[in-house]
Amino acid sequence: VTGRHFLAIVAVVQGVLLGALLILIVLNRWFRLRRSARLRPRRLAVEGVMQRWVMGQTALGVVLVQLARLPIPLAVDALVTWSARVPGERWRQLAVALEREWWARIVRSNCRSGRWWKRLECARFLSIAATPGDTARILRLLHDPHPAVHIAAVATLERLESPPLATAALERLPSLAPTVSAYYASMLRRSRAVVVQLLLAKLRRTGDPALPRLAEFAARLQEPLLREPLTALAEHGDAEVRVQVARALGSFPHAASLAALTRLVADALWPVRAQAARSLGMLADPASLRGLRAMLRDPDWWVRLRAGLALTRFGAAGRNALLEADVGTDANARNMAHLVLGLSPQALAEFAT
Amino acid sequence: VSELIRGTDLGILFYFLVLNTFYALLLVLSIPEIWEQTRLADDEDFQRLMQSDALPPITILVPAHNEQRTIEASVTAILTLHYRNYEVVVVNDGSKDETLEALRHAFDLYEIPRTYPETIPTKPLRALYRSRTRTKLIVIDKENGGKADSLNAAINASRFPLVIAVDADTLIEADALLRLTRPFLLGRQIAAVGGTVRVANGCAVRDGIVTEARVPRGFLAGVQVAEYLRAFMFGRLGWNRLGGNLIISGAFGLFRKDHLLAVGGYDATSSVEDLDLVVRLHRYLRRRKIPYEIPFIPDPVAWTEVPESLRVLGRQRERWQRGLVAAMWQYRGMLFNPRYGRVGLIAVPFYTFGEMLAPLVEVFGYAITIVGLFFGVVNVSFALLFVLVAWGYAMLLSLWAVVLEEVSFRRYGRFGDLARLVLFATLENFGYRQCAVWWRLRAFLSVWRRKHVWGVMTRKGFDPVTK
Repeated sequence: VTGRHFLAIVAVVQGVLLGALLILIVLNRWFRLRRSARLRPRRLAVEGVMQRWVMGQTALGVVLVQLARLPIPLAVDALVTWSARVPGERWRQLAVALEREWWARIVRSNCRSGRWWKRLECARFLSIAATPGDTARILRLLHDPHPAVHIAAVATLERLESPPLATAALERLPSLAPTVSAYYASMLRRSRAVVVQLLLAKLRRTGDPALPRLAEFAARLQEPLLREPLTALAEHGDAEVRVQVARALGSFPHAASLAALTRLVADALWPVRAQAARSLGMLADPASLRGLRAMLRDPDWWVRLRAGLALTRFGAAGRNALLEADVGTDANARNMAHLVLGLSPQALAEFAT
Repeated sequence: VSELIRGTDLGILFYFLVLNTFYALLLVLSIPEIWEQTRLADDEDFQRLMQSDALPPITILVPAHNEQRTIEASVTAILTLHYRNYEVVVVNDGSKDETLEALRHAFDLYEIPRTYPETIPTKPLRALYRSRTRTKLIVIDKENGGKADSLNAAINASRFPLVIAVDADTLIEADALLRLTRPFLLGRQIAAVGGTVRVANGCAVRDGIVTEARVPRGFLAGVQVAEYLRAFMFGRLGWNRLGGNLIISGAFGLFRKDHLLAVGGYDATSSVEDLDLVVRLHRYLRRRKIPYEIPFIPDPVAWTEVPESLRVLGRQRERWQRGLVAAMWQYRGMLFNPRYGRVGLIAVPFYTFGEMLAPLVEVFGYAITIVGLFFGVVNVSFALLFVLVAWGYAMLLSLWAVVLEEVSFRRYGRFGDLARLVLFATLENFGYRQCAVWWRLRAFLSVWRRKHVWGVMTRKGFDPVTK
């Protein structure tokens, strides 16, 4: 074969491929349009019966029939969309009824599939339609090697109260990357009773390297039972733990919280001081007014800002403190007081979130 | 002489074969990648994600220079993105117009003292402002130092661990930030992540949002739609499986701030600061053996206006090529260096020989063929066949990008747009490709003369909803 022959063969192959690609583009578009036209009425039918079922105008059986007419991925999508709109008890009825559906059984069996996208579909389905009988499946999915699968699986905790699942998720939480860990934490909040008991034990292990993550999670829960172990961590050696404690104590109006926060405002690290100032503002105890006024002179801008914002929560007394600082001798305090006094209510509300 | 010409021809043929085999590899690798990304994008539950407080906080960096007319709309659009925890740092880079006044008026700015260290040195700051109406907004007024310098000033002022650089004239889709954070939510060790940049020319835009994606009717803008699709949909997707991308678009890329600070931020002397930054990040992370990924994900989208005049486009492409040449020269120590893993052994050699030298080889190939024909060493039919194969292959790659777009996101809903897209992908080789080669050759000349001209991008602005 000469060079020319070789090129000629390549040119012919390319020509065929170009033609094939053009046909593929057109066929793909045509096929998708046809499919979409075919499925649209079924989708609309599901929307319609769901709406009627939510209002009590049709039986659950009709919903199941319409769902079964959709391809499985679309049925799961429809369920995910509607799960946010249907009240809890009614949704539980649907979840129980789905256990007997052929297509739901196929989805459930996919929890052992070798293909991650099948397991993901199963995890998504269980996250909105799991029943206590699915615990073993969800436990398996929670330990799935594909991150998308275990992240979808942990969302089951939003709807299903299960001590073994909550324990498994909490055990996993500290070892996960920060973003994933935060997602787990937001899902675990629904299983409060189980989680609080587990946390009470875990927060007492002061040498645990997972403590910062657990303290962060405990802070988010705002559970009165956790106040005591959190207060005990106010002098922990790890700055991140102290930051989380300072943030958490603002949710616990208690003399012990105030005492701990008063110590934390003198911390060497500014993030701890800033969080402590914020929390003192949330508690708005008159005893802390003097300390917050002093914090307007803090060397760090963020601490001063947090102190200024905290003072706005003390009503007239806080405002007077800011007005005094506004005409005072300390330049830092003066600037910050001036800034905070000039903030609109909308800006103050945004800072508070 | 004839032996020399024949030998050179063989060399060029070999170069052509190796380069196109590599493109074929990228093409094949893009298939599983787009499939996986599409599945993940389809199955993402954004509602649940938005309600959870797991999303990492992000600082959006917006450099602005003489953007008086558009800055209020751009910043307002950025402030309405669907994301829970973010701040916006706008840098007025010594604008000669009323950019700062426009911001001050629109967002009720008040001056605050600077309380953060100048971790990355920048041109002097004049003032720092916050907004009384939008607490997410910070405005920095500084002396003119260029885009990279402005970005560095914004990085210094940023509070959050992730930063994203956005051009003031780029339209980001409302859910783009949510989508861009997907790799972080999947627990991957991400140093930077890039999204897709698409061409906004011809699209219907309302209140800073692209309401309908269209393929422009003009040849120059239309060809760039195909070109951008090719670059993003299969080029960068393919690189995801080959050790990471060497380019994260400066108009839309999310970075971990601690890594940016460690490498000293953007290089204010580089004419392609995004490429330079990513290569430096690779070098830094590889040297320290820090595990990392720099992936590209296709579904977060930002829309940008592309040049519609040959002169402006030529300047832009010349600048891109100049930056590529400068970066490849500056980081030549990484070339075929096993210390840098697949980046040193695959990515940098590809960008050096496949991208940087391609226009030189192409022109040299044309010249040697003409000389060969003149001396009767090269057969006419062989030469024509070779050109046909080379162009046919380029067409194949462009059409493949269209296929990937069609099987995944299908942004261009109308048949007319699809037809135009296919047409432009096919016509790209006739005239446009040769112009691109010429602009890129000029870059070698300006590097040789050490001439650094940024060039002014003349923008038409986005069309309101019409059609």
